[in-house]
Amino acid sequence: MLFRILDPQTKANQFWRDFDRLNDELTRSILDSQFGSASNYPPVNVYTKEDEALVTCLLPGIETDHIDINVKDNLLSIHGRKKAEELAEGTEVHRREIYNGEFHRTLELPFRVDQEHVLAKYSNGVLNIHLPRREEDKPKKVSIIAG
Amino acid sequence: MNTLTKEIKQEVTEAVEGKDQKSASNVRVYSPNVDVMETEEAILFRVEMPGVDQSSVEISIEKDQLILEGKFVPPAESRGQVRLAEYKEGNYFRKFTIGKAIHSDKAIAKMKNGILELTIPKMEPKKTKIEIQK
Repeated sequence: MLFRILDPQTKANQFWRDFDRLNDELTRSILDSQFGSASNYPPVNVYTKEDEALVTCLLPGIETDHIDINVKDNLLSIHGRKKAEELAEGTEVHRREIYNGEFHRTLELPFRVDQEHVLAKYSNGVLNIHLPRREEDKPKKVSIIAG
Repeated sequence: MNTLTKEIKQEVTEAVEGKDQKSASNVRVYSPNVDVMETEEAILFRVEMPGVDQSSVEISIEKDQLILEGKFVPPAESRGQVRLAEYKEGNYFRKFTIGKAIHSDKAIAKMKNGILELTIPKMEPKKTKIEIQK
């Protein structure tokens, strides 16, 4: 914890409850960024337009058949495995910074997705997933008739 | 609440890590993750450079200094509103000092799926016998 307030009476107060929550979240995220956390691997960016979303995901050095992408309603889940390079005998390891192992991420999108038209592309180590919004959920413009 | 948390987190992380320096052109420079291995014949580098095209990678070796650079090319089309940004795109830069005799002219580099693989053959240690004059 970054800060610690040792006064149980403050717990009842809305402000301190919020403060504690913020405090908790901050501490966890700083620890994660320093020591790494499997829960936020791989890092993703999410961009949205009115009728589509784009999820970009940094996944260098992965085979495409080791990635599983599932979409249900407004949830996108990316699951996969990153295999470690096999080392020849007598190889001396000086540095190992690249992550290997299983990963699983679920992202919530602001709208329901048209599952049939999801498009995923992998190039230069970046996974791009295009997610179109469901036709029936798209905002409809109502035209006004002048009378 | 959430955005505030994110903002504070970013500020603190940047202050603690201090590695996301901004260059003059305002493009971020990142230190990529690297695996360094050594076999009997060569030194192997595997560098994570996601989002960088093969043509924009630069590798240079001068004496014992190895410099790896990757230039990021921003996408042409608009991507819409940013909802979640866990990484920022930018250039990659990393420097190493190699403490072994190497054949820098025989180095082989390959780029595959955002990972740069560099193999630099090691030089056979030369043995020189010195005669003692009589």
